[in-house]
Amino acid sequence: MKIAIVDYGMGNIRSIVSALKYIDVQNIIVSSNNQELKQADKIILPGVGSFGKAMQLIQNKNLDSILNELVVQRQKPVLGICLGMQLLGMFSDEDGFNQGLGFIDGNTDIFDSNNVTVPHVGCNQVIVGNLSRLYQGMGDILDFYFVHSHKMITNSDIGQSMCDYDKGFIASFEKDNIVGTQFHPELSQKNGLNVLRNFVELF
Amino acid sequence: MLRQRIIFTLIYENGFFNQSRNFRLQKVGNIDWLEENYKFQDIAFSLDEIIVLNVSKRDKNLSEFATMLNRLVDDVFIPVAAGGGINSISDAELLFKNGADKVVLNSALFKSPDLVRSIIQHYGKQSIVASIDYIDEDVFIENGTQKIDMSLDEYIEYIESLNIGEIYLNSIVRDGTGFGYDTDTIRRISSKINTPLVIAGGAGNEKHLLEGIDVEGVSAVATANLFNFIGNGLPNARKYMLKKGCNLAN
Repeated sequence: MKIAIVDYGMGNIRSIVSALKYIDVQNIIVSSNNQELKQADKIILPGVGSFGKAMQLIQNKNLDSILNELVVQRQKPVLGICLGMQLLGMFSDEDGFNQGLGFIDGNTDIFDSNNVTVPHVGCNQVIVGNLSRLYQGMGDILDFYFVHSHKMITNSDIGQSMCDYDKGFIASFEKDNIVGTQFHPELSQKNGLNVLRNFVELF
Repeated sequence: MLRQRIIFTLIYENGFFNQSRNFRLQKVGNIDWLEENYKFQDIAFSLDEIIVLNVSKRDKNLSEFATMLNRLVDDVFIPVAAGGGINSISDAELLFKNGADKVVLNSALFKSPDLVRSIIQHYGKQSIVASIDYIDEDVFIENGTQKIDMSLDEYIEYIESLNIGEIYLNSIVRDGTGFGYDTDTIRRISSKINTPLVIAGGAGNEKHLLEGIDVEGVSAVATANLFNFIGNGLPNARKYMLKKGCNLAN
């Protein structure tokens, strides 16, 4: 099993690498090189920071087309984490309108600071959706660590599990080979390690 | 429900971890001592976050600090914030690359708001913890040595206008005393801000942590007391707080 972490210059890659090592993934590549990414069985798209800036970096490195080839055409499993999850969606209204990678029907919007404290930071409970593979064997309501100012929402069924904050937002989705978590599994102790293990083993 | 958090703060100076009391440092041990007495890979499961502060006064030696950080966070799967002496975006980058999920800024908030803005632009507002050291209504920067020309309330307003992710409010008077948090000030500040608030200074036992976390609007309680929570002190404190009905992840 070869897992590639897409390194486009934004994201907490070190923690993801050590979490994957901890769950015994032997072959991890951290790269933005098209040829290297093509050799991977599974892909992780990390991300911390601003949506527009991240998309710009991804486009500059031509990673949008390679990701499209791997994820859409060749159906390789992809896991987007935090901003990486939001990038898999259609668009974001953060810092003006920005198009995402468009692999999943969901949009990113800012939390309403009149309703809730922003950023949303700390552990919060995820209410696990029906037929989830991502949380298999773990329970129905689980704590994960979040740190973000924007939320993803959708009107479609994308296998979402929800979190109750500012009228609810998508804590994770899992549609066929396309998976995203708004929380950081690599910073969520046992629950996070279990989610990563499920992504590695079940997708 | 959004959980509250327990944070362990480590005070680092030139290769050693310290017990701080009113910002006077007492050397306790190096990273070997720390690993022996606080097994982070084990106790991290009882913590929500770790903050590591480099308070070295003259030569901050950021690369040595980053190397220590890298070793400290190995197999620790909770968020880590690090700071002390960040003067440029490349300083911040060095810490992010060595395992920091967030950076802690203190003097830079006052002296270089442009640096704050560029870190936000690159890493997002959630990546900045704004550390504020105060005595009563006065605010101090540079490891508590330099009083600034703004009251605590004015400064907090200024800090919020920088659009940072969290505020780490540290009472110099309570620091390391084990007398409990300065709940009067905390209550006053927490009622008027809309940024997650981490409180520090004074916690000497689990009852203090409980008292702090019960103040309305507090997101997290931090302790830097190396002596009082040694061994299983932190896991035991968490157990106690959960038993008392605290809203902590479990």
